[in-house]
Parts: sequence; C-alpha cells; structure tokens
Amino acid sequence: MSKEKNLLKQKRKLIIVSVLIAIITITLSLNLNRTTTKLENLFKSFTIAIDKLLMTPYTKIAEENSFNQDESYIIQKNINSTLEKEISELKDLLDINKTMTEYTIENATILSRNKSYWFNTLTIDKGKNSGIKNNMAVITSNGLIGKISKTYSNCSEVKLITSDDANYKVSVSIKINDQDNYAILNGYDQDKNLLKVTGVAKTTNIKKGDVVLTSGLGELFPAGIYVGDVEEIKSDKYDLSKTIYIKTKQDFNSIHYVSVLKEKNK
Amino acid sequence: MIAIIIIIISLFLDGFLTNLLPYTGNSLSFFTPQLTLVCLFAIYPLYIKKRKKYYLTSLVTGIIYDLLYTNLLLFNGTLFFLTALLVKKIYKNLEINYLNIIIYVVILIAFYEITQALLIMIFNLVPITITKLINKIIKSLLLNIIYAEVIYFIIKHLPKKYRKINLN
Repeated sequence: MSKEKNLLKQKRKLIIVSVLIAIITITLSLNLNRTTTKLENLFKSFTIAIDKLLMTPYTKIAEENSFNQDESYIIQKNINSTLEKEISELKDLLDINKTMTEYTIENATILSRNKSYWFNTLTIDKGKNSGIKNNMAVITSNGLIGKISKTYSNCSEVKLITSDDANYKVSVSIKINDQDNYAILNGYDQDKNLLKVTGVAKTTNIKKGDVVLTSGLGELFPAGIYVGDVEEIKSDKYDLSKTIYIKTKQDFNSIHYVSVLKEKNK
Repeated sequence: MIAIIIIIISLFLDGFLTNLLPYTGNSLSFFTPQLTLVCLFAIYPLYIKKRKKYYLTSLVTGIIYDLLYTNLLLFNGTLFFLTALLVKKIYKNLEINYLNIIIYVVILIAFYEITQALLIMIFNLVPITITKLINKIIKSLLLNIIYAEVIYFIIKHLPKKYRKINLN
C-alpha cells in the first residue's frame, strides 16, 4: 500500500516538474525580443544548410516563375540616382532624418515561410554576417513588405507588415496635392485583405488611389518607400478621424527575393 | 528506423508545401499542412513498447521543427511532447481504424491549434479571434487526414516485426 502511495507521489512530482519545465520553455520561446545565443546560432546555421537543401525544389520553381532580380535592382539604382539630388534638396527643407540615400541594399532569398501562421514571418538567407540587424526595412520591387525581427549568423527573420501585431506600427505619409499627411499603419484586415491606417484627421481629403509611402518619422524606416494605394476610406465610430484601408501591390503568398535596407553609417 | 524516415519525409513535405501553398491572411489554403504533427500520431504503433523513446522522438522532432520553420526555440518541442501524451491516451483507450483516424486527426489538430492560440493569447503576442482559429483548424484538416490515412496504410502493411501492435 505504501509502495503504491510512493509511486503516486512520484508521479505527481513528475507531473508538477514537467508542467513547470513546459511553462519555463514556452515563456522563453515566446519572448520574441530575446537575443539569440551562440549555441542557437550554431544549430540554426546547421539547420539553415539543411533547409536550403530541402527547399531546393521550391526555390527552383520560384526562380522559374519570378522576375529578373538583377534587372529590378538596376531599375531601383537608376531611380535612386535621379532622385538623389532632389532628395538632398528636400532633406534640407524637411525635418526627415532618414531617407533612401543613406541606405545600401542587401539582396536576399526567401528560405522558408514561418510555419507559425499567427506570426506572419519569413526566413531569409542573410544574417549578422552580412550586416543585417534588427528593425531594418525589408522591401521588394512592389514596396515595403516588413522589417527584420530576429537575426542569426547566416539567416534572419522578416516580420511582414501583414502581421496583426499591436506593437508593430509604421509611420506613413499620404500624399495629397503634394502635401504629406502623416498617419500610423497599425494592422491588417484579414477579411478585406488590406492594410489598415488609423488616426487620419477627419478633415483630410483623401481619395481612393492616393499613394501611401513611409514617412521617415519614428526612426524605423526611411522616408519614401512605397507601401500601397488607398483602397477604402471609413470614418471611425465617433466620426472624429478616418481609418484608411491600403492595397499593396505585393502578393504576400509569392515573395521569393527581397532587399534589406542597411544604413550606410551603421 | 522506419519511424525516423517517415518523420524526415513529413518534415520535408511540411516545409515544402507551406512555401508552395498560400499561407498568409485569409488566403489560407484548404490543404494547409500539419504533416509532422500528424505523422507523430501515425507512427505510434512503431513505438508502443518504447514509450520513453516515443516521447523523446516527439520532443526532438519539435525542436528540429522549431529550428527549421518557426524560430521559436522549444515552443513546438513542448507542444509536440504534449501531443505525444495525447496520442498515447488515444492508442491506449480507443480503437484505431481508417474511419476513426479521421476523428483522431481532427482532435489532434484542434488540440494543437487551440493550445498554440491560447499560449499566444496569454502572452499577448498576436490578436487571435475564434473565427480565425476555427478557419485555421478547418483548413488544416483535409490534407492531414489523407496523410494520416496513407501512413496508417503503410504501417499496417509493414511486416509484423516492425510494428508493435496489431492494427485493424
């Protein structure tokens, strides 16, 4: 009888210890802002090599269906050089800290889409070794797609702008008659498949089709990156401000190559 | 060895199909894969007398899954381990056949998705609504049920020395 009691006690202890371990590991793993350890980096480098191998058929298919990356890069470079002069003049006039001229482009290939559906992240094949750092803007030829959320030695995680994260806010500007109207992009409407911009003054005369760019405010992204076009305008329930829905040109289900914007002075 | 091969194939197919099929926003495919999770259920007959090894395999598979596809260290390791405990209960108390597998896969996927969503909600990481969660579960069923049936069929037709229990 006492043996049975001891066994039961042991079982209970085992369950309590297991639950505690589970709570600790889950708390650790869900701390998205933690820095990656050397051991994790080592394992990640190894698994990335396997991942690249596993994803070879997928990347082959993607390569066949995608655009010419070099051509797109050249177009971007040309546009940049013609705009550079104009931007430098505007920079003196405006109080914008970060513009595209202060950035270099690091091209990267998508290795895999994150299996955690809720987090909306991608893994790219460039990491700390290529100078990638957290919070760098990630773009494609269709505009802004997200930011770097985690870096490893040879790969990084990109958090897409479609992620419905309350802490993920991007300062944007809507151009109306050559005037900038600042607002905050802070979410994604899954039902409408559109990005959501809130806090636009009620008096602002926004029309469908107006262009939305990053504003450069908030120290996160440089100014002038294309985000999307205004698709729908709604007043909030108290009729004090407007909520704007933006349609991006990017199909987030078929991203194969991206460019990371690296600050020149960093 | 056969179980390990099945797990490796499942891991590969899981990543490949996730990249190939729509997986963002409301454009989630009706063939959303959870093949690694389902394969852990289907391979249990190969581990019936080596339960500790089965739990360890589930934990390690989860950790590899995290390293390859989620970047959430140990999150799926823990979830896969919990799923392994549930799988053991199913095999111990319930009958396994082609028809019942459909119900068990639904239970497993619902258990996995609900636990994951609850944890994400507790840590206030991403807003998850019940509608979105149900949508995710429903769209994860079709392909995974087919996959579970295929693995069950393969294991059922293996020589008896490989599997440790009789399957109907």
